[in-house]
Order: sequence, then structure tokens, then C-alpha cells
Amino acid sequence: MCVGLSAKVVSVKDGTALIDANGAKREVSADLLEELEPGDYVMVHAGVAIAKITESDEEEANDVMEGLL
Amino acid sequence: MSDKTVTLAHGAGGKQTSELIDKVFKAHFSNPQFTADDAAVLNIGDGRLAMSTDGFIVSPFEFKGGNIGKLSICGTVNDLSCMGAKPLYLTCAFVIEEGFPLDKLEEIAAAMEKTAAEAGVKIVAGDTKVAGKGQVDKIFITTTGIGRIMDNADTSGTYAKPGDAVIVTGDVGRHGCTILLARDEYGIDADVDSDCAPLWGTVESLYTVTNDIHTIRDATRGGVGTVLYEIAEQSNVGVRLNAADIPVDPAVKGVCGMLGLEPLYLACEGRLVIIAPKDKAPALVEKLREGKYSKNAAIIGEITAENAGRVVMETEIGAQTMLPQPGGELLPRIC
Amino acid sequence: MNEQAKKARDIITSYKGRPLRIMEVCGTHTHEIFRIGLRKLLPDNVELISGPGCPVCVTPVGFIDEAIWLALEKGCVITTFGDLIRVPGTEMPLAGARAKGAQVRPVYSPLDAVEMARQNPDEQIVFLAVGFETTTPSACLAAETAKKEGLKNFSLLTANKTMPNAYAALEGSADAFLYPGHVNAITGTAICEELKAKGVSGVVAGFTASELLTALAVILKNAESGEPFFVNCYPRVVKPEGNPSAQKLIAKVMEPCDTEWRGLGVIPMSGMRLKTEYADFDARKKYSMPEIKGRPNPACRCGDVLQGKCKPCDCKVFGKVCTPEHPVGACMVSDEGACAAYYQYGGV
Repeated sequence: MCVGLSAKVVSVKDGTALIDANGAKREVSADLLEELEPGDYVMVHAGVAIAKITESDEEEANDVMEGLL
Repeated sequence: MSDKTVTLAHGAGGKQTSELIDKVFKAHFSNPQFTADDAAVLNIGDGRLAMSTDGFIVSPFEFKGGNIGKLSICGTVNDLSCMGAKPLYLTCAFVIEEGFPLDKLEEIAAAMEKTAAEAGVKIVAGDTKVAGKGQVDKIFITTTGIGRIMDNADTSGTYAKPGDAVIVTGDVGRHGCTILLARDEYGIDADVDSDCAPLWGTVESLYTVTNDIHTIRDATRGGVGTVLYEIAEQSNVGVRLNAADIPVDPAVKGVCGMLGLEPLYLACEGRLVIIAPKDKAPALVEKLREGKYSKNAAIIGEITAENAGRVVMETEIGAQTMLPQPGGELLPRIC
Repeated sequence: MNEQAKKARDIITSYKGRPLRIMEVCGTHTHEIFRIGLRKLLPDNVELISGPGCPVCVTPVGFIDEAIWLALEKGCVITTFGDLIRVPGTEMPLAGARAKGAQVRPVYSPLDAVEMARQNPDEQIVFLAVGFETTTPSACLAAETAKKEGLKNFSLLTANKTMPNAYAALEGSADAFLYPGHVNAITGTAICEELKAKGVSGVVAGFTASELLTALAVILKNAESGEPFFVNCYPRVVKPEGNPSAQKLIAKVMEPCDTEWRGLGVIPMSGMRLKTEYADFDARKKYSMPEIKGRPNPACRCGDVLQGKCKPCDCKVFGKVCTPEHPVGACMVSDEGACAAYYQYGGV
């Protein structure tokens, strides 16, 4: 449905964020997220940062699996 | 072939390209020397010569790590080298668009000479045509080369055997990624330069280790994935890759992640795929890692008897999956 | 693979409960599931079926015809996400129109199409706005920006869709859903709770190997009781409230409408169109487009595939007439499409 890209925010200016995914950089819209700061991680889709996220999926797996076992 | 016209997909190096070659060119040109390998083998006198030709239409004609001139030498030099042939002589033909800047043409010629010198090959004849504005895109170059096949070399896409190791001489997809970025269609910036390099020295070094090398291919258009599918088909074997072992530059991975592309299908211009017996592979890789253009050489998989004609990937969760068949125009997948 | 993912894998491979049909709604899930070979791990009594969550696949034939009309009759420059270029229209795909001289350019973002309009004031730029709740905000941002700047040469051809009514249309086709994580990142999880109250089970899933494994393990564990359940397995991205700014933006720029889904037909109020205030940026209104009805190939069973009623290999044209090089239906076009995924990765 929607290829998402998790990336680190390098800088934010006038509703635009420069993001970095493994060294691939691009400007994306930061209009849909409040209080975005350099160092934050975001999920990017079609040139728009759609969610603030935590970087790694590992902790999440721990939490989800702990709830299960 | 169900198409009535030639489309961009016919030039992408995948299934449709082979279909076009089979149905049109092979049908008309077929003779005993006509080859499915990168270069034809010709028995002339006592020796064996390899002969190859390649056209270059890259846009933009300059990119990080090279230009169309360097590329045009590397392409033909590498095709000859893959047959175990020391490149000797090249010819080149230019089609130049009216209005092309002369200083750029000089830069291109200089890059050609420099690359040819490095590969130990002489440019001995050429042809120049100028086409009216808009009839070509700036500059097209075709190079043709001959080389002498070393007596101890015998390689072919049909020689891969079950149990052989699959070696790649460096990280994959750099050239394709560089060109994608240079076109600046997607607003992405990354520190990636082309792997474009003349590889005769690399091939020569392999034969200091062993003569027992089954297949050497340069992974150009269509990338390593396409070359492996070709070898699987020509040798009627399967290829099993281990996803974790395939070297990919992080930035290339990043760009591919953004656009939904697979690095294995992006073009390389300085990477060889080598198929050799498993017991020889570690020594070959060790030798390759001493070389200027193959520092990140790695064993990425093996040849199998099962899944003939297909390439299978051992994935990160320990399951096997089929690598998609290459084909069609490379379009970013976003949705 | 980390420890938790290994545990999840063990839960999946050793599952011995009742037979389960799980539908992954999202096309990117389909793609990733094939890429990592997840189906190969499943025991015989667990079946993963691919749902209608690939925007390319559910885009009807007529939409492509509309885009080609704009390109060839009105001389517009068509900007689009890459995979739409090969989707068959009634006569031809956009790639075919391009060979006839239409200007068709793939872009990464609708905002890049806006930039193209700024840079080329003499060209009329149309962006093909397809996609679900995840993608719709980017189209709305493009319309909003164009309106603010008073751009006269930018418009959208909309085919945006929303999931809630599609879930209703899919009722009974699976025992549990893998909900599309990036849609829920925008909408939040209230819809999933509502579905649970109606007896429909599912989990929100992420897209990495570890996330897919844990999500499946959670489904298999919860399915034991037989009670309806909902678990958010993608909390690092999906918050219960979703993205309120995105929701507000969509509500400002677009409104629900009836829309056609390829294969599923018209689902009432499952589409989004630009509001009247944005009519200047609505390509259908701007160019007084006549009603264009597409005629899909009758042999194609994409519709049944999208509803989980048949597998791609049950379709007569699959793999023979219909291949990724010459797709008949949209499911064969996009890498996300169920048919393309079966064709490319099937077999081993």
C-alpha cells in the first residue's frame, strides 16, 4: 500500500525537513508533524514525514512479544 | 513477441531484451561464431581471439566517477576480459549532436585515452558523425575491441556446475544508482560514485590463483541479478544466494529504499560475477581483495542442481525465496 | 534475526491450532512477505491471502483512460508514481501513450509535481493522485500549496481511496487481518477497535522481517481463544490517535465520494475527491472532462484475487497471456500486486 522509509531528521526549516536514510538525503515536508527536531526519526511516505518513530524495530518486538508470552 | 514496436523495456537488459535479440537478430545473423557470451571467440591462425562491441548512450554523459568516454572503454575492455582475453585494440565511433561543446568532447577523449592506457589497449581507428540538433541525445559512442585469449583460460556462461561458488568482485548497483542520482529526477542526494573501471588487471590476477574458472561476467545493464539469471539459463543450473553476504553500499541501500528498487538489478560497470569450484573460491577472493577494483569481493552463493534456470535467495529469516526475474523498465515503486 | 523474532518464528512454525485464513490488506506487506519468504515458514493450516491494499491494483481501467485523455487530447504533462505507468487502460497503458508522444514523468512525491509546475509555467502539470489514507495527505498538501501560491498550471486527477468501507466489503473473507501499518499511522486505531467490536480480528503490522514475524505470531497466539482481538504490533510508528494534523488537512481539502475499485466495483463513500473550494485544481473540472468509462479485459480475475476469492494461479490468463512484461490486469503490474508477487516469487 505504501512504501515507508524510516529516516533521521538532519535539519528542519519552514515546514521542510532534510532527512537521511543510510546516507541518502532528501527534503521532505514536515508540515504534518509538530515539534520536529534534528536527530528525531520519522517515517516518510511520498515525500511527506507522516509519523515520528523510534529508530529500531527491536525494542518494539521485545514489547510486543512480552505481552504475548 | 507480442510487441509491435520497440519499447524502452526492450533495452533494459532483462527478458524482453533477450526476446528481441532471439526473435530478430539471432534469426537473421545466426552462424557458428555468433555468441551469447560477452565476446565472440574466433580461431585465427594458432591463437584464439575474442571480439566484442558495445554502444553507449548514457544520460547524463558525465557522472560521479566517470563519463561516457571512460564508460565506453571499460565496457568493451571488460567484455573481452570476461573471456580471459587480454584486450589489444579498440575502435570507436562517435555520433555527436550538433551544438555539443568541444571542451566536453575533449574531456571525453582524454578519459578514453587514460582508461585505455590503464587497460593496456590501443585505440587504433575511429569514426565521427555529427547529427542534427535533436536527432541524438548529445553524444553516443560505440567501441569495438579485440583481445587475445590466454592459453590457460576457458570460460563460458554454459560452464557453471552444481557445487560451484558464486563470487562478486565488489558492492553491487553503484553505477545504476549514480546515474539515477545524476539525472536528479527524484530530488535525492547521496554520496555514491560509479564503480566504472577497466577490469583486465582483475581478471589477470584470478589466473595467478587457478586456471579452473568456469564463468566470468561483467554485471552491466540489469545488474548482478540479470547476469545470474542468464548464467542459470545458459548452464541449466540453479543459483542460491545468501542475502546477508551480498555487498551493498549503505547509501545505495538508502536510495533504493526510498524508491523501492532492488540493488541487485541496478547496473554495475566495474563488477564481475565469477563462478568457480568451491574449493578454489576462498583463494580467489583473497587475491581479489588485494586488487584496486575488487577490495570488497565476496562469495555470495552457490550453484545448485535444483531450481534450474532460477535464482533463489536465502533470506534474513532463514527462508528461501525466488529472486524476481529481471525485466522491464526500471521504475521507482512508491506506492 | 534478533531473539524475539526467533521466538516469533518458532510460534509460527509450530502452530497446531485451527486452520486460519489471514489477509494482508496492504500491498507492501504482500511484497515484503514474498521478499523474505515468509509463506515458506507457514504450517499447512495457516493461509495468507492478499487483499486489495495496493493503490495501483485497485485503480480502475477508466482512470488510466482519463489520464491518457488529459495527456493526448489536452496536452497535459502527466506526473505519477512510477508503477502506474504500466497499468493497462482500455486501449493502452500510460507507457503506450508515451510512445505516442504523451508526456509522462514519474515523480517521488506530489510535491515534486508542484515544483515542476513552478519551474515550467508554460506546461500544464497534472498529478495522478492515487493511494489510501497514507498517501492522500501528500496529495492534499500539493493542492493546498498550489492554492496558496495561486498556481494556474497544476491540477490533480484524483482516485484516492479509504479503507473503512472496504473492510465492510471484505467481511467474511478472512479470520484475521494484518492491518496496513502506514494507513493506521494516519488514521489511528479506532477503526480496528470498532471492527473488533463487530467480531473482526486483526493486528496492525509493520514492515520489517521482525515486525511481520511478531505480528503473525500475535495473531496465531490470540486465535487460540476464538474471541475477537485487536493488537497494535507497530507501536513505534502507529499511535492510537494517528496523525491529527494529517486528518485535519484531509478534512479541509477533500471529501468522501463513491468510487470504483478495480474488480470490486463501486463502493459507496470509499473514495476522496477535492472539495469545491479546490475545484480549480481538480483536473476533471478544469478540463471539463467528459465521462470516460473503461472496459477491462473480461478474462482478467483481478477482482476475485483482490477479494481473496481465488488465487492468481486460478486465473486463466495468469502467467500465460498476463505477465509482468504484458500485464492484463493491474495486479500483475505493481510489484505489490498479488499476481506479480506470485509470478515473480512463486514456485520455490
